Amino acid sequence: MTTTTARPAAPAPARPWRRWPERVRGAGTPAVLAGGGVLVVLVCLLFGLSGLVTMTGRADASRAVATRSEPLSVDGQELYRALSDADATAASAFLSGGLEPAAARDRYQADIADAGAALATAFGAAGETGPAHDDLARISSQLPVYTGLVETARTYNRQNFPLGSGYLREASTLMRSTLLPAANRLYRLQTAELASDRSHATAAPWVLLVVGVLALALLGAVQRYLTLRTNRLLNPGLLVASGAVLIGLAWVFGALTAQAGHLDASRQSGSAQVQVLTEARAAALEMRSDEGLTLVARGDGARFETDFAAASGRLGGADGRGGLLGRARRLAAAHPPDAKARAAVDTTAADFAGWLKVHRDLRAEDDSGRYNRAVELATGADRATAASAFARLDGELGTALAHAQDRFAREASRARGALTGSAAGTAILGLVAAAAAGYGIRQRLWEYR
Amino acid sequence: MSRRRRLAAAALTVVAVALAGCGAGGHAVTVHPVRSAGAPRPAGVKPYHPPASAAPAPPCDPRASGPRPQGQLPPPGQMPAGSAMDRIVQRGRLIAGVDQNSYYFGFRNPSSGQIEGFDIDVLHEIARAILGDPNAIQYKVVTSAERIPALTSGQVDIVADSMTITCDRLQQVAFSTDYFDAGQRVLVRKGSGYTGLKSLAGRKVCAAGGTTSIRTLAESADHPVPVAVDNWTDCLIMLEQNQVEAISTDDSILIGLAAQDPYTEMVGPRFTDEPHGLAIARTSPELVRFVNGVLERMRADGTWNRLYDHWLTPLGPNPGPPRAGYAD
Repeated sequence: MTTTTARPAAPAPARPWRRWPERVRGAGTPAVLAGGGVLVVLVCLLFGLSGLVTMTGRADASRAVATRSEPLSVDGQELYRALSDADATAASAFLSGGLEPAAARDRYQADIADAGAALATAFGAAGETGPAHDDLARISSQLPVYTGLVETARTYNRQNFPLGSGYLREASTLMRSTLLPAANRLYRLQTAELASDRSHATAAPWVLLVVGVLALALLGAVQRYLTLRTNRLLNPGLLVASGAVLIGLAWVFGALTAQAGHLDASRQSGSAQVQVLTEARAAALEMRSDEGLTLVARGDGARFETDFAAASGRLGGADGRGGLLGRARRLAAAHPPDAKARAAVDTTAADFAGWLKVHRDLRAEDDSGRYNRAVELATGADRATAASAFARLDGELGTALAHAQDRFAREASRARGALTGSAAGTAILGLVAAAAAGYGIRQRLWEYR
Repeated sequence: MSRRRRLAAAALTVVAVALAGCGAGGHAVTVHPVRSAGAPRPAGVKPYHPPASAAPAPPCDPRASGPRPQGQLPPPGQMPAGSAMDRIVQRGRLIAGVDQNSYYFGFRNPSSGQIEGFDIDVLHEIARAILGDPNAIQYKVVTSAERIPALTSGQVDIVADSMTITCDRLQQVAFSTDYFDAGQRVLVRKGSGYTGLKSLAGRKVCAAGGTTSIRTLAESADHPVPVAVDNWTDCLIMLEQNQVEAISTDDSILIGLAAQDPYTEMVGPRFTDEPHGLAIARTSPELVRFVNGVLERMRADGTWNRLYDHWLTPLGPNPGPPRAGYAD
């Protein structure tokens, strides 16, 4: 099966290959035919092998995208969100005066638990060295310090000592100067890994293409040679071999096109939106935390207000139609299949604009000396406060994010599905082509004896 | 017999355990050396570098720097046209630069969220005298270093923040009469063995940046290492976290810090004399005169004593209000 010289059944001279050189020197046809036959069989085998390697690699890369790098980037995003939400929640709980509301405490504790879980997942996936490991080590060593400072702040607050707010400031400084930058770097690393896995999964299969075309060309050449020399129009073995290679090529290209299509869809309607929405959510949290800290600083919060303005420009531009929210809307509109996600993104502009308006009002109240009214506008529970505008915006972004992640998972699993069996299939087709070509040529070779 | 059996059982156990150990798989693990997470730091901590001193201020008497009040104060809400007080009445509120981290003097009460303290109550008296409403005050929290810029840029009408009257500062802002006397001392952890500034040579000592206290530390012949922070509570945090060995400032502020941590104590004698004044922009001498009038009234009618007894008894028995001195 693997060489033209194999002699399975027929009675034959003991070592026919010994006689090939004479034939090459001699009549020509059998020698050329035998040489061509070996070449064709080898190329067909190579086609099967490269099909196996290429398609296995593709399937692995697709699996990595769907089951590793994307979930990891979601995990990294959750880590960042949980940390920055904890910071914003702690700041605004402090603002309300007296005991912090139970809901705020619950939210803070859920955030810390989320961050711990996300950290464990990220540690499990990261190697023992490299930049991801360093950032993870930094976060995991500083997170307990952060929570310790927050609890100390809480204890002093309960004793009515202003020292509590000092500890809270120290905690927030640690969060903003160390934990959040590390989490942000980690998320960027994970996003870069996702992009690299995806490009591995969709790299053009040049080797397979070249080998397949070469196999077809050789099969055609041998067929043509035989037709000229033997006057027989078609060699069934070669025909089957050509068919197998053609089917293999068609399968490969069908599968790869479908896979690339789904992966592209997973990016366009999935992870690209996930990324924009994640950044949007982080910007909204930053604004919320700045808003609280401006009030906590009480007139000494100009830098937080500057931060707020920068983050709000990034998030929604002037009116919620620009910035990240605008990009999220455009992405959702360009890939319309998910109406629910579109609806969630569509309402963010209004809530963003509403929040900015409340924020301007509360800044005006604070600047004209009505501090308590400003705090009320920032933290109050009724509909027209910054707290509820933020909660609505955050909720919508969360919904849109969940939809985008679902879409990603769906398309990524379809991309994997498109490749099912293609590695084994092309390998088998390569073997079939080699066997058929070998058989067909051997048939002709027999005739020369 | 039974002993041999026991031996055999023990041997079998050893073999079984060894085999089990061999069978335990999993990938290799690298143990990373444990390092400390390091102490967290409050925002704005930095080593202190004294400002390049300009020409030394001409000698003066900090306790007699301002104008003497003349006659009765005008009734609230009816201030002389064009005066700083009139602008405050037109605006409807007094804008005051305060601290929210000095326990007893100016601090945010965590349970109410309001800023309270001795300095704040003095402001209430001034707001009552100008506007007729003790609560018509807009607080702007300033760090110690921001107090003078806030006044010279016109962001605030007045600063009430345990501010020492010095000849240097009198070049930039005006002060009311002395309304509280303090002196610099040292606060350390109990049992640390420090006995005063002398024993702290080469040790880190914390004070808020932009204060007379940190300048005194930097210029001290005992050579402590000054560490500057934004707020007094940041000093206490760093003392609790063993990042500094001591805090040094006015005993009135130290008492407020010590009250929040019973494991601290004040040691050594007072080594400076710090008359506290309310700071006002030099462009509003009429406001200085008016505030001096309010302070005069507070001394006379017992308000000052009442405020001391309300806030400052932890400092010791009421010494009575400081005597007012005037330049004219």
